[in-house]
Amino acid sequence: MTNSTRPGFGDDGLELIDLAAVYALDAVTDAERHEIDARVTAADADVAEAFARETRDVRATMAQVSHTTAVEPPAAVRGRLLALIAADTDTPDAPVDLAARRARWRNFLLAAAAAVVIAVGGIGIATQMRQDTQPTSAQILAADDVRTVSGAIEGGGTATVVYSKEVDAGVLVMNNVAPPTEGTVYQMWLLGPSGAIAAGTMTPDDVAPSTTAVLEDISDATALGFSVEPTGGSTQPTAIFAQLPLT
Amino acid sequence: MPVRMAHAGAAAGDAIRSATLDRRRMLSRLIRPVRISPDERTGRVTGVGDETDTLDALLVRVASADATAFAEFYDLTRSRTYGMILRVLRDPGYSEETLQEVYLQVWRPGTAFDPAQGSALSWLMTLAHRRAVDRVRAERSGADREARYGAQSVEAVFDTVTDEALRRDDARQVLDCLDTLTDLHRRSVELAYYGGLTYREVAEQLSTALPTVKSRIRDGLRRLKNCLGVDSDDE
Repeated sequence: MTNSTRPGFGDDGLELIDLAAVYALDAVTDAERHEIDARVTAADADVAEAFARETRDVRATMAQVSHTTAVEPPAAVRGRLLALIAADTDTPDAPVDLAARRARWRNFLLAAAAAVVIAVGGIGIATQMRQDTQPTSAQILAADDVRTVSGAIEGGGTATVVYSKEVDAGVLVMNNVAPPTEGTVYQMWLLGPSGAIAAGTMTPDDVAPSTTAVLEDISDATALGFSVEPTGGSTQPTAIFAQLPLT
Repeated sequence: MPVRMAHAGAAAGDAIRSATLDRRRMLSRLIRPVRISPDERTGRVTGVGDETDTLDALLVRVASADATAFAEFYDLTRSRTYGMILRVLRDPGYSEETLQEVYLQVWRPGTAFDPAQGSALSWLMTLAHRRAVDRVRAERSGADREARYGAQSVEAVFDTVTDEALRRDDARQVLDCLDTLTDLHRRSVELAYYGGLTYREVAEQLSTALPTVKSRIRDGLRRLKNCLGVDSDDE
């Protein structure tokens, strides 16, 4: 940060270095950021180095300042993240409950397959595991436009969708959600301009402490809806009782 | 609140909406917005002291899809990441989502951490801040959300110390350094960093000339850096 008064950079160079602080604070527009990036790339080596140094210093300084604003996040975030990560990993030294997780996955896979048959005209939930050659979950996590949306469910638990419109798919994670009552299922619906499209069901047995499922063909959907339906599901929702927006 | 579960959003259509309103009363499991109760915030204090090497090493393991290392990295950094995001976004629901997105980005293959560009914490906070700023600007540009972010001015962040910060030695040192800044310096840096504003917008908000604001931000950061003894080349 001390280089701005040093001679030798030229007016252009000095002006560029002068922007390093606001650049490092993200206090520029996207267009300005791109322009600055281009100018740094084209700049003399000593100017580029001075710019990089100041940027590093500012970021290191603000990293220290983050001590003063620390707040514990809600505990549920940890479980959701680890469930998503587990869906994307299959290492021998993974957490000990991996076997149990796999068993739950298989159960869910069977239930989802049944749902596809029953939900006429609907696109069922496709569940995938790491063993698949191209896990959709990995594609979603790697997407540039990955977004998450969460809601707490009254009566306990949370539902989260991590999704990418580019990949045209999302991962639904249900944590500690109470199962539906016997004789009913939770049914998921992709809601959009063309109405409600069935996206699979969850029976009381499917709803584990951490239930994960892949949702596909989401690009037209504006929300994921949940309804309670009789066993086997319905072709149209009886009543959507909750939604997660997929905008 | 678009990011929270809506009982009857515009997307559902009128028929569904009216059915929903009737049905809602009958259902025991309704979905409510995410709320953070005070007791959820008081976890153990995370991430203090000389941890740069630890975090760097953990990130190397995370890059090879080590879920245990990821969990440890999360635990050591989560409160700082979340606290900063919350200062920028101010909404617990948005902040929780952004926090998740940040750590998914940490996990995703190809997210490059280069130790030559600074510490792991610095890298993480840069990533998180960028995402928080993108989000706050996107929310601000939504016409129906102007009331939420538009007219509101940024609170004096540096004067509002979190309970957790008070328990940290690192925080106290930073606070002492922040006290050495003039109000003008502090305010300029605050608006730029936590307000999600561009420096042009900071100048407008403070009714100050652009070059003045730029140099105030720069001088403020330089003083802060020198007081803290930050030298990113040593990290």
